[in-house]
Amino acid sequence: MNSSPPNTVSDADLSAYADGQLAPEQMAVVEAALARDPELAMRVADYRAQSGLLRDALDTVLAEPIPERLLAAASSAALREPSLVRRWGIPALAAAATLILGVGLGWFGRDAMIERAGTPTTFARSVAYAHALYAADARRPVEVWAAEEKSLVTWLTKRLGFKVYAPDLNGLGYALVGGRLVAGNEFPTALFMYENADKERLSLQVRKQSARPRSGDAPTGETAFRYEIENGLGVFYWIDDENCGYAISGKLDRTQLLKMAHVVYAQLAVLEASDKK
Amino acid sequence: MPPSVNDAALPHPELVAAIPRLRRYARVLTGDAARADDLVQDTLARAWEKRRLWHAGTDLRAWLFTVMHNVHVNQLALFRREAGNVSLDADTSGLAWQLPVRGNQVDRVELMEVVAQMGRLTADQREVLLLAAVEEMRYEEIAAVLAVPIGTVMSRLSRAREKLRRLISEPSSTLRVVK
Repeated sequence: MNSSPPNTVSDADLSAYADGQLAPEQMAVVEAALARDPELAMRVADYRAQSGLLRDALDTVLAEPIPERLLAAASSAALREPSLVRRWGIPALAAAATLILGVGLGWFGRDAMIERAGTPTTFARSVAYAHALYAADARRPVEVWAAEEKSLVTWLTKRLGFKVYAPDLNGLGYALVGGRLVAGNEFPTALFMYENADKERLSLQVRKQSARPRSGDAPTGETAFRYEIENGLGVFYWIDDENCGYAISGKLDRTQLLKMAHVVYAQLAVLEASDKK
Repeated sequence: MPPSVNDAALPHPELVAAIPRLRRYARVLTGDAARADDLVQDTLARAWEKRRLWHAGTDLRAWLFTVMHNVHVNQLALFRREAGNVSLDADTSGLAWQLPVRGNQVDRVELMEVVAQMGRLTADQREVLLLAAVEEMRYEEIAAVLAVPIGTVMSRLSRAREKLRRLISEPSSTLRVVK
């Protein structure tokens, strides 16, 4: 724009001078101008004062404690080897790879990595992962077998902090295999595994929902069945008015799964009502 | 020391050490503490993906700033696209820019004033002020971070400073007139 004639000082020169970043050959010109013109000297002083104020105001950010998630992100960024999530990508991991890799990664690590990769671990998704992981385990799908149903329910009730039940799905051809505790993002999840005569498994998972509904989760405060397909697994879930989430998942089609969900819901309602009496 | 370009690891201590400055830069970019930390997190993830582009032995902070600038620009572009026909000021994301001045600073009115007035600059101007005046980076480094010529850095910076100076002097000059 304004091509400054020699021996005049541009705004950019003044600003660079204030920063101590002026090219050496310009120094003499600027200093002469400053000596001549008090207005220019004032501006340089103002710029420097301004920088000092900005530093004082913004330096406080540096003293703030670093959030855990950023420390975790830094550790992750320092990895030499690609993490499993990164190497396989979310869709691949979400598929059968979960079954194999999920075990090695460990539940917390897996969740944290997926969260870090920007995918919220919704209730339906974590249910599908947990089901895929444990239902595929032929010999040890559960920690406590159905033979000890009573102590299983007592244990899970204690760990979850509210009364849980193992519904009876024998009428639908599914017998209780047992159950286990699954680590969740905020609250642990109770998992009940069922199996039919063809060794097909489905799981009922129960957990306390976080008070603040996460995006992607069902809105709390109402009971509505929601259906999602996660990693090829159908998941029916609902959240009751106690803010407890229930989810049933397995390799069944939507209609079959919904039927299961209705049976479970009805049984739980009866069990809860009789408990309250 | 020879730069080992193909070494696929970023140095962990330096990454952690850079976080506070990344957070500050992000806060100036986004004008919001929560969104700023999201940006830092995205930047660290992106840095890992791009780790082969960092030359060991060079300034990791400057490189991370470059990554953050690019992540932010991309996110803004996405945001504008998603906003569709909503007209947005070319310089802002349409979200309010606000930096809280906290605790021990309230006794310094001029600090609150400079931060408040900073919000009236364009996003480009705030960014270059942070890099030059607060981070005290060399203009060449800033040019690399922003991917613009050094002359652009200098003119943008001087406009930012002059505008901020005018904004800050406004209230007091009004007072002088009244007096």
